[in-house]
Amino acid sequence: MRKLLTVLLLLPAIFISAQKNATISGVIKDAQNGETLIGASIVAVGQSKGSTSNEYGFYSLSIPAGSDSVRLIVSYLGYESQTLTILPTGEIKRDISLSQTGSLMQEVVIKANSLADKVKSTEMSVTTISTRELKAIPALFGETDIIKILQLKPGFTPGSEGTTGIFVRGGNTDQNLIVLDEAVVYNPNHLFGFFSTFNSDAVKDLKVYKGGFPSQYGGRLSSVIDVRMKEGNNKKYTAAGGVGLISSRLTVEGPIQKDKSSFVISGRRTYIDIFTDRVNKANTGNADFAPIPDYYFYDLNTKVNFQLTEKDRIYLSGYFGRDVFNFRDQNFNFRFDWGNATGTARWNHVFGPKLFSNATFTFSDYQYNIQNILQGFSFSLGSNIRDANTKVDFYYQPDNRHTVRFGGNITWHDFVTARLKAGSDDGQVQFNAGREYFGLEYGAYASDEWTATPKLKVNYGLRFSAWQNKPAFYANIEPRVAANYSFTNRFSGKLSYARMNQYVHLLASSGLSLPTDIWYPSTENVKPEVSDQIAGGISWLIGDQVLITWEAWYKWLQNQVDFVDGAELFGNNNLEEELTFGRGFAYSPLELEIEKKEGRLTGWIGYTLSWAKRGRFPVINNGEYFSPRFDTRHNLTVVGTYEFNKHWQATATWVYSSGYVSWLPQGRISVQDVPGAPIQTIVPVYGDRNSFRYPPYMRADLGLIYKWQTRKSEHDLTLSVYNVLNRRNPYFIYLDAEFQSTPVGDVPVGIQAKQVSLFPILPSITWNFKF
Amino acid sequence: MKLQILSLIAGIAALTSCNLTKDVEIELPLYTGQPVVECYLEPGKPFRLLLTQGYSYFDPFGLDSTFLQKTLLNGATVTISYEGQTDTLYNVPTFELSPVKIFNYTGWNTVPATPGLAYTLQITLPGGGTITGSTSMLPPVPIDSVVCDFNPDPRFDTLARVLTFITDDLSTENFYRRMLHYSSLDSFPQQDFLVTDRFSEKPMIAFGTGYELKVGDTVYNTVYHINRAHYDYSESVQLAVVANLNPFAQPSRIKSNVSGTADPVGIFTCLVYDRDTTIIRK
Repeated sequence: MRKLLTVLLLLPAIFISAQKNATISGVIKDAQNGETLIGASIVAVGQSKGSTSNEYGFYSLSIPAGSDSVRLIVSYLGYESQTLTILPTGEIKRDISLSQTGSLMQEVVIKANSLADKVKSTEMSVTTISTRELKAIPALFGETDIIKILQLKPGFTPGSEGTTGIFVRGGNTDQNLIVLDEAVVYNPNHLFGFFSTFNSDAVKDLKVYKGGFPSQYGGRLSSVIDVRMKEGNNKKYTAAGGVGLISSRLTVEGPIQKDKSSFVISGRRTYIDIFTDRVNKANTGNADFAPIPDYYFYDLNTKVNFQLTEKDRIYLSGYFGRDVFNFRDQNFNFRFDWGNATGTARWNHVFGPKLFSNATFTFSDYQYNIQNILQGFSFSLGSNIRDANTKVDFYYQPDNRHTVRFGGNITWHDFVTARLKAGSDDGQVQFNAGREYFGLEYGAYASDEWTATPKLKVNYGLRFSAWQNKPAFYANIEPRVAANYSFTNRFSGKLSYARMNQYVHLLASSGLSLPTDIWYPSTENVKPEVSDQIAGGISWLIGDQVLITWEAWYKWLQNQVDFVDGAELFGNNNLEEELTFGRGFAYSPLELEIEKKEGRLTGWIGYTLSWAKRGRFPVINNGEYFSPRFDTRHNLTVVGTYEFNKHWQATATWVYSSGYVSWLPQGRISVQDVPGAPIQTIVPVYGDRNSFRYPPYMRADLGLIYKWQTRKSEHDLTLSVYNVLNRRNPYFIYLDAEFQSTPVGDVPVGIQAKQVSLFPILPSITWNFKF
Repeated sequence: MKLQILSLIAGIAALTSCNLTKDVEIELPLYTGQPVVECYLEPGKPFRLLLTQGYSYFDPFGLDSTFLQKTLLNGATVTISYEGQTDTLYNVPTFELSPVKIFNYTGWNTVPATPGLAYTLQITLPGGGTITGSTSMLPPVPIDSVVCDFNPDPRFDTLARVLTFITDDLSTENFYRRMLHYSSLDSFPQQDFLVTDRFSEKPMIAFGTGYELKVGDTVYNTVYHINRAHYDYSESVQLAVVANLNPFAQPSRIKSNVSGTADPVGIFTCLVYDRDTTIIRK
């Protein structure tokens, strides 16, 4: 630790160490629509000097000044590489535009040198998903979903079948920091987790850190899922969308001022309620008809950006989504709605060719509300979390050996937990419960990506984080370090260590994602969760097309939160009485990915062998360690996409994983006075938690895409077949009594375990268009 | 081509209509049957107790007397002490018909209806294991009023609902079990749930029905005043039952108020209530 502090104190020396260099800087963009490109590489030929564009597209490359011209190659996955020739003197400002390969009427062969970049990068435990992959892979009900694609990558364990729950390297779902344009998304689910909140048409880029976390990220233990929205086409107006079985989408984008500013607006809505509403209306007055509840969800993404000056650009973006469930008859007027809202305002400023800054204000809100109104009486229940966050980040590249980042943020949190309000209109009957908490979260960081030698790169940094929720105050130091040693251009070894703290906790009463799960702050009794993760691995590039990445990792978890038996979450003023605290650990000796991103056949094979445990909870299993629900031993995925020609593309995925663990009853008793139950009730007796493992999960999906083009538009028709083998995978298992009729009524004669599956083979078809 | 596509879709649709539930063979962790105590002391009725034992989940049931003999834990010594006296409950099966209940231990005396009276249970099993428990009698909470009103919506104005009001003591935390029967007390209850006054800000608590009653219908309202142990036990039993069938529910162990070397589960409590019978009239 002391050495690391010494190194950090030397950071300012880097600022004055610049040699007599020429510096070229600017923004790398898509030539067709003006979108900035994140992670594009720029390399000086013959000088082994290079740089990459940051998350705002900004790059800076220093090369020795001289009178001979220098060739620069700029490349990005899925784009034609471009060669520039410059005279290296002084400060050169150059924005670069790259053209996409694989446009519809070309033979689609993706060229990429991103795999070679991965070998050399200090970044490890990182996953990226491109929109190309997103749209090609078959999806449940044809609804492409970025989180579900992520579940196919090694290190990620999906939640229950069909849902967007995600467990990263032995962490819980709330231990993932999910940000959309830097604003936190607290519940990334629609329809109880079957769809994510991310409309794939509005997403530009997704990057996920499973370990080796850069210092600029904090606040969660297990992953950072960084989703960036499109900025909008600043060249021409376009409209794109899709019509599917469940929902339809429409995205409109275009320039506000050509090449300088643009907008994008993207919406999505399900429409099953339109049909159910008609059925209900047709049966009005029919006493035998039970009305069908209305359900729908929608979301809206908007973004505008303005180039104010050559050095200043601002972005304003927002997301609003809601799920709504309504049920009305003569006795009920019931409504259940939940959703997120986020807003982001960003100001990018280029101080000079070496210094770039980003100032951001974000707002996040997640809430759920349940209400029922009867004649003279009303009932409402809800919770919400609301954040306002201000942060500033600096990106400084004094020379090609150092990339320094530093910055800080303050977040104000407002939690309303377990709010209950019920009573009569005349005020004679009144129930009220729920509490409100406030918290302030602070973060400050500095890091340096240092090319120590041509073969060795080190990214070291330190993050300071703190939490204030009077009278509780916590402050923590979080060291971060990652190193890459390139044995050759094709083979490298990597190591990383990261400490993370988490000050907000999701109280989830089941292993499934529910909108009624409650976010709760750290308090005097609820300590911040802490993780330490070490990881090591190798990257090996075979030929130019296949990259093998193997990583091993170990993660320690402290102050983990779980429930006591029979916890009451709703209408509870003292939720802390329902909580218990313990530890955990998770490890994997083998997290393997073999990926191919070039050629007609692309895809990956991922395999993870891992263990996860929780324990030392005073009131759970006598403090013994036990497996959390998602502790699956083996996870194997195979994903392949094949381009036959410019019209036809086929995709296939195959998934195998060990079964989840579950808490099933061991014994049974017969009890004769259970409220709401028959006279004699068979009551399960539960022993130790999670002592049963479900059968393995296996699924294969197929997809076929046909693309065509007219003079002014592009189209594709996507046929997806989910679970093509029609395998019955376990969703849950219950124990059912079998009865026999006797003169005194039905009496139980035996018990049978029943397995419930959720999805059989499910074909779907989606039409996508772009004008 | 069109015909082939239609055939394919029809075939897929046929496949998707398959049943999504199937029988599976699983092995559950070992369970040693625990003794189960159910003893509700009801004022004016004899001291009665049901002592049974649990089974491993897959143990067979039986329709014959052997199974019943095995389930009923007989041969134990059962006593209940109160006001300085100790009553022995004899190993004699008794029944109650409305609602149907079975007991295998019964005493000669009836339960006094004295609020605040403390009771202690002592059981010694034939094998030597012991079970103990204690409880006390609560006062009943009377039903203040029952109000019947008809649906203001003219399309449904022949249907009525019933509102039942009680006055709650806000100075202490109280627990209730509300039961609602239509037509007869032998019928399956229309409502049967637990409620606490923990968040009540006014002394009045209301229980209601939907607009579903017609003129001439009979409604039986019962409000039990129960203690915390009874509430916790009943709630944990409900959770255990629900969790077996609902993947969204969190399983729970049964919260008992009996303990001892026999590792028992169960409840020893008093049962006091107020009941109102209303016939719907316009």
